[in-house]
Parts: sequence; C-alpha cells; structure tokens
Amino acid sequence: MALLTIEDLRVEYRTSRGVTRAVDGVNLEVHEGEVLGLVGESGCGKTTLGRAIIRVLPRNAGIAGGRILFDGTDLAALPEPEMARYRWREIAMVPQAAMDSLDPVYRLGDQFHEVLTITGRLARAAARARALELCDLVGLDRRRLAAYPHELSGGMRQRAAIALALALSPRLILADEPVTALDVVVQHHILRRLRQLRAELSLSVVLVTHDISVIAQTCDRMAVMYAGKIVEVGRTVDVFARPQHPYTMGLQNSFPNLLRPQEMLIPIEGAPPDLLTPPPGCRFAPRCPFAVDRCLVDSPALRELAPGRCAACHRAEEADVLRLHAREAQRWRVPVL
Amino acid sequence: MLLVLWVIATILFLIFRLMPGNPLVAYIDPTFTTEQQQALMHEFGLDLPLWQQYAIFLRASATGDMGVSFTYRAPVWKLVWEALPNTLILTLGAVVIAFVTGTISGAFLAWKRGTAVESTGIPLALAVRAAPEFWVGMILLAIFSFSLRWFPSSGTASPGVVYASLWQQVTSLDFLHHLALPLVTLVLYLQGLPLLLMRSNMLDVMEEEFVVMARMKGLPEGRILLRHAARNALLPVATAFALVIGYSLGGNVVVENVFSWPGLGRLLVRAVAAKDYPLAQGAFLLIAAVAIAMNLLADIAYSWLDPRVSYAKR
Amino acid sequence: MRNGSVQVLPRPRTPGFAAGRRAWESFRGVLQHDRFAVAGVCIYLVFILVAAAAPLIAPYDPQQTITKGDDLMANQPPGPSFLLGTTNVGRDIFSQLVYGARPALTVGFTAAFFVALIGTVVGIVAGYYGGWIDAVLMRLADVAFGIPFLPLVIVLVAFLGPSLWNIVLTMALLLWKDTARVVRAQVLSLRERGFVESARVLGASPLRLMLVHIAPNILPLALLYGSLAIGWAILTEAAVSFLGFGDSTRISWGFILQDAYISQALSNGQFNWFVPPGICIMLVVMAGYFISRGYEELLFPRLRRQ
Repeated sequence: MALLTIEDLRVEYRTSRGVTRAVDGVNLEVHEGEVLGLVGESGCGKTTLGRAIIRVLPRNAGIAGGRILFDGTDLAALPEPEMARYRWREIAMVPQAAMDSLDPVYRLGDQFHEVLTITGRLARAAARARALELCDLVGLDRRRLAAYPHELSGGMRQRAAIALALALSPRLILADEPVTALDVVVQHHILRRLRQLRAELSLSVVLVTHDISVIAQTCDRMAVMYAGKIVEVGRTVDVFARPQHPYTMGLQNSFPNLLRPQEMLIPIEGAPPDLLTPPPGCRFAPRCPFAVDRCLVDSPALRELAPGRCAACHRAEEADVLRLHAREAQRWRVPVL
Repeated sequence: MLLVLWVIATILFLIFRLMPGNPLVAYIDPTFTTEQQQALMHEFGLDLPLWQQYAIFLRASATGDMGVSFTYRAPVWKLVWEALPNTLILTLGAVVIAFVTGTISGAFLAWKRGTAVESTGIPLALAVRAAPEFWVGMILLAIFSFSLRWFPSSGTASPGVVYASLWQQVTSLDFLHHLALPLVTLVLYLQGLPLLLMRSNMLDVMEEEFVVMARMKGLPEGRILLRHAARNALLPVATAFALVIGYSLGGNVVVENVFSWPGLGRLLVRAVAAKDYPLAQGAFLLIAAVAIAMNLLADIAYSWLDPRVSYAKR
Repeated sequence: MRNGSVQVLPRPRTPGFAAGRRAWESFRGVLQHDRFAVAGVCIYLVFILVAAAAPLIAPYDPQQTITKGDDLMANQPPGPSFLLGTTNVGRDIFSQLVYGARPALTVGFTAAFFVALIGTVVGIVAGYYGGWIDAVLMRLADVAFGIPFLPLVIVLVAFLGPSLWNIVLTMALLLWKDTARVVRAQVLSLRERGFVESARVLGASPLRLMLVHIAPNILPLALLYGSLAIGWAILTEAAVSFLGFGDSTRISWGFILQDAYISQALSNGQFNWFVPPGICIMLVVMAGYFISRGYEELLFPRLRRQ
C-alpha cells in the first residue's frame, strides 16, 4: 500500500539565465512503514524533490506538472490553506544542516513549544509533556530544552531536529542528509535510532543522501536519482547486489567496500549535465561506458524489469554482463562527449 | 571608556591653549589697565606654565570644576548642567523614535519587495538621508512655524512660562509643542540608517534556513516575519545603534542651532564663536560623555538581544 | 552565516597595474547593470560641468550686490532677470548656487581622497605588521570612534581658522577609521595568500610587498570608502558653514543657507532662497550613495539577488 505516489513530477527554477528543470518527470512510490533511500550527487534534484512534496519552494521555483498523491489526495493541486494542514502534521522534514534550521535567538524548548501549540494546537501543559516525551524518544537530554541552539553539539542539534519533526506524529518524514554533517560514530547512533523509531511509530521515511553506505545501513528500498530523473528503484539488497543502471554501478565503484580485497576506487569521470539545456537522449550517456548510439537520442523511460525493480536504461536486460565490465577501471575512462 | 574621555579632555586642553590668538582678547576690555588685565590672566590661570595649567585642568575636571565662562561669567558646570536635559531629551528621544520608525519601515519595505512601494520607498529614504539635516529643519520651520503658525519657532518654552520642576516642564504640553519640530527634524535625519539596514537584513534573513523551516512547520507567515525574521534581522541593526548615536550628536548640534533649542550643541557653538574656552570645553566634554554613556547603553541592549553574545562573555 | 559574522571579502586580483585597469572595467560593469549608479554618475557629471563652467553659466558675480540705478535689488522674487531671486542685500541667488558647486565638489573630492589615502595606509600598515603597531593603530581608531564628529570639527575649524582646507584636514583626520578597519581585514586575509608568501620568500622587502602586491588589491575597497566619504564631506562642510565657521571668502551652499537663515528668509517665506541650495546638496550626496551602492554590490555581491 503506497502512502505517497509521485507521478511524473516536474519542478522548475526560473533563473536570470533561463528555466531549469531540477525535477524532470519523476515517478516514485513510498510504502507505509518503510525507509526509502534516495541517493544521488549534489544538484541531482533530490532536495528539490523533498521541498516540492512539502510544498515549500523558493520564490523563483514552482511545480510545473505532475501529481503528488498522499493518501489519495494530490498535494500538488491543493490550495495553500489546505496544504497547510498537511505540513508538519502529516509530512515533516528533517533538514540537512540542523544548526541553520533552528532559530538562534530562541531556546530549544521555546521552539518545541511553538510548533506544538501553534501548528499542533496543543494546550500548554500538553505541549510541555509532549516536548519531554520527544526528547526521550530521540535520546536527547531533557535539560537541553533550556539551551540555545549554539550551545548544543552537532549530534544534539540533529536529534533535536528529528524530535521536532516527530512532534505532531506525522506519517511521513523527509530526511534530507540528516547525518552528513556528523562524525561516523554519531552517524551510526542516529541512523539506528531512526530505524527504531520507524518501527515504534510506524512512520515512513524518505532518506535523501549522497552517501550510499547510509542507504545500505538504513533503507529498505532505494531509488537512484540523476540529473532530475529517477534511474533505478528496488529493494536495497537487490540494487546493491545486482545494479541494473550503469550510474548505480559507477556509484558502487566510487565507495570503498570493507569486505572486498583492497582495490582502487574508480570515479565516474565528467560532471552532470547543465539542466538549463539538458541533452536530448539519456542524461547519463556522456559519462556512460556502455552508451550506444540509441542512448544519445532516445531518453530511456523508467521501466519495471521485475516486480518492484525498475531501471531507466536501454541496455538494462544486459545488466549482468555490464556489471562485470563495470569492475574494470579502464572502462570508465570514457571520453566525455 | 574613561580612557577615551581622558584623551578627549587632553586634546581639548591642547587645542584651546595652543591655538593662535590671545584667549582673553574677546573678553578683555581695552580700557582695562595692564594691572587689571594681568589680574584677570592670573585669575584664569593663564600666566602659569603649560604643564601646570594641565595639571590644574585635570584635577579640576575630575572634580567637575570646569572653570568660569568668559561670556556668561557663571560657573561652567552650572551652564552645561542646565543645558544637558534639553539635549538629552531631544537626542535620546530622536534616536529611540528614529530606530523604532526606521526598523518598522525597513521591515515593511523588505516585505514589499519587488513592488512599487519598494521602488519609491528606497530612493525616498536615500533622499532624506542625503539632505542636510539643518536644511530639513529650516524647511519645516518655514512651513509649519512661520507660514502655518502651528508650532513655535524657537526655544523650549513660551515667554513667561515657569515650571516647578524638571519633570513638570518635560511633561507639559507647551514643552512638547516646542519639542515637536526639532524632534521631527532629527528623527527624519536619523531614521535612514536603521531603515536601510533593517531592510537589508530582513532580505538576508528571509533566505535563511530556519525561516524556510518555519514555513515547513506550518507556522503562519505573520508570525514568521515578526518573531523569527525581524527578531534576527534586528541584531545587526542594534549594533548600528552606536553609530547612529555618533550621528545624532552631530545632528543635534545643528538642529539645536536652527531651532534655538537651548541645549549643549547651541551652547558649544556660541562658546566657540565667542572664543569662550572654558564653556566650549565644558560643553564638548559633556557631549562626549553623553556619547559614551549612550554607547554603553547600546552595548548592554545588544547583549540582551543576542543570546550568543552574552554567552561568549560568560 | 549572517548576523555578526565576517563579511565575504572580494576575490583578490593578481598584482600589478592590471589591477587598476580591472577596477575601471568593473566600474563600467556596474554602470551597465545599475540604473541608479548611472543616474549618480550623470548627476556628478552635471555638477562638475557646472562647477567648471561657472563663470560662463552664472549671469552675475555671486558676491556682487546688484543695483538698478539707485535701487538695491534686494529680496527680488524669481523672475527672468534673477532666476532664483536675490538675497536681502541684492545678490543673485542663482549665481551663488552655480558658484557654490565649486567648494562643494572640491571639499568632497579632496576630503574623500585623503580619507581613503590615510585609511588605506593605516589599514595596510596595521594589517601587515600586526603586533603592537596594529594594536596601537586600532586603539587610536577606537578613540576616534568615541569622539562626536561634528562638535570636534567645529572646535578644530574655529581655532585653526575658517578656511576650506582646514575643514578638509579635520575631516581627513577623523573619518579614516572605517576605511582602515575594512582595509586591515582584507590585508589580514591577503597576507596569508600564496602570492604574498611567495613574494616574501623571494626576498621582497616589506615596502615592496605592501606597495606592489597588497595595495592594488585594496584599491577597490579604498575607492568604495572614498566615494562614501564624498557625501559625508559635503554634508559636513555645509553644516560647518551653516553654523558660521565656514570660509566666508567662498560662497558654498552651506554659506547660502546660513545667509538665508540669518537674514530671516524663513519668516519671510523666501523659499526660492533656501530651498535650492539644499536640493543641490541632496542631489550630489545622493549621487554619491547611488554610485557607492552600485559599486558595493559589485564588490560584495549578495547571493540572494536573482
């Protein structure tokens, strides 16, 4: 049962140099009670996607088409006052840099109080109780409620941000790089807590990150995003074991693996395309070691290759062979077109 | 703080003693005999070597004795003390009002970004800031006082009015009536800086992450603007308070002269024009002291506003 | 992060005369984008022209009391023979206004030049040497900050003598601190940059380092603060003249205003006398603001502008 279904979503930015499609025809599903990982490099549109779902976009951005079905209701088409009812109560966000997301001149407790009483419409006493409860939930010392954001460590601030996101018991949490700014030990603790919370509170989480090791550790299913489009979707275990899109294969190569014998990391040469004037064919083709002529003209659609497994590649059927070739470093020294 | 005051006092002393021109020329009647002139010089201590004069000067200033005015023939401290409340009320009042109206207007202009209101508002604010304050005062005086006769044209009180106490004077309608035009002039002059600064800061703050988060949290826009954006945007504006104080005391001098407002500024100008050193010195020192005191107040106010600053001090 | 943190300083340019040329090019760039800056430059040009061609534009000598036969042409309203009317002793206001551009621009530019110069030198020396030199200079700046500006100007000018140059001198003595602060900050960041280090290693003397390598990168900042100082200088000169401590041999706009005030122009409702000089001052100072705002936008671009 899909809690959130995104159909052909397009989000545009109007800049002085023209219009950029940061999200270009994205199809995605988030199931109840799962952690969905969304991985991609900086600028691929994953943050914009999250912002679009909760519909808080910058002044020069807007949803240009598509549907965002949350429990059957299209959020993209809702008038503002109705959308406001979903914000934080049904869908909440854990932002990337928690220290910037907390108002520096108010104490933590006041910021909890604000969201609980104003958006949550709780009474004072109930708000106070809930705030304490939330601290315990995320493992934040209750005394920290009296502190200002700058008096807390990075880990504490992140926990506070998670607690704030959980304040009104939303059904969906969009976590945008929630642990990127933290050291590895703290990362581990927070990610583990996130998974526990998912079970305890039957939440759904969309975990956006550029780090596939985080995905491997925490997510049930994962989606890979590139240049505004989704290129691969599937259960994390499957995608890791048998990636079907060359980009995913390349990503795997770029991250060190503790289990495999020591080997050189193979980077993906080149850079993502300029979204002001995207290339006509597959967006990854210029950097892809397996691109054929068709790839440069025809943009591949995201197709279902097996139940729950999708990839946007013309050569997805040959994935098994391509996977072996992907291990060879010289394949990736592609003359970038 | 005291260091600054001491430096100022020393500079003053040197200026007044070393400048060309016999200080008593304006005061000494040529019909005085030489003995009388010498007696006067002795009385004012002008026949002592410079370093001795300096020592006396320091000691006297520390105890508040600033000598006797040449022109008024009264103790300087008494004259400046009487002038002080007028200056304080005008300056403090103007600074506070200018800050309040300036920040509100600045926040308003930031809110109305991209509209016609902004495109006319900004040049208007700049124009007022570019205009000489005494000229604005002159125009207000000409229109509202001389032409329309709505406001009095000078001084703090109508002729013949007597007050039982300072408090009574300050709260009387007549005083406020006299205060109106000089106050408005000074406010117009001072509000440009907080306005532009607040607007600039608001525009910056509204792009900050926590404002975006506040929207995601479903908080109403008005609350976000006021309690989050404005509150944060206010901080750098508060640091400008000290700067505005500096401007205000300069502007004050001029405004006092335009409206014949009997404050320290007017006293200073008269004293300097008449080469009345002790009086000029006293007036200047007191103006500097007011500046320093107001700066101190500004520092305290800022550390109260910004929790990060007081934290650092802890 | 905003709110009290260090502002982003402009990218340093490579040393040499090329820096000067780049400054000019960037200035032209500003003009292309910012309409207000263009307006500012136009206003300046107009006034410079007026000041230079004053004898040609002004119909009368500004000091001359005009008579028609036996009658003194005093307090004449604006008309064809006297564009802005006359003062109470029969001087043509329009001519005074035209000639008034000269002291205004002279004071403005020279004071700004000296403020920029002193501020830059102090900033470079303080930033480069650091240590006790820095401490002393910055302490000096702090003290300067505590002194109320206009009162001190009045006192100094009154006792140094009411000449235009004394006004300039006083302003230069007091206004350099802002420039010095910012320049110093930039020098501090530059000092650690590669090209300065390598020049030092190659044996360049401190003087050479400061002049050839650091100074050209400071130029844009110096220009910016210099241009801000122009308006400030003109306003101060006007205020000093208005209070009666100005140079009475030169007709400046402040002087006209003082004249008007003393001669009861306010109660006589002679708006033609005291309104135009103020407008002139306002225009020139505003022009300065526009230009420096446009230039500042170039040096410290705000990322939020779309």
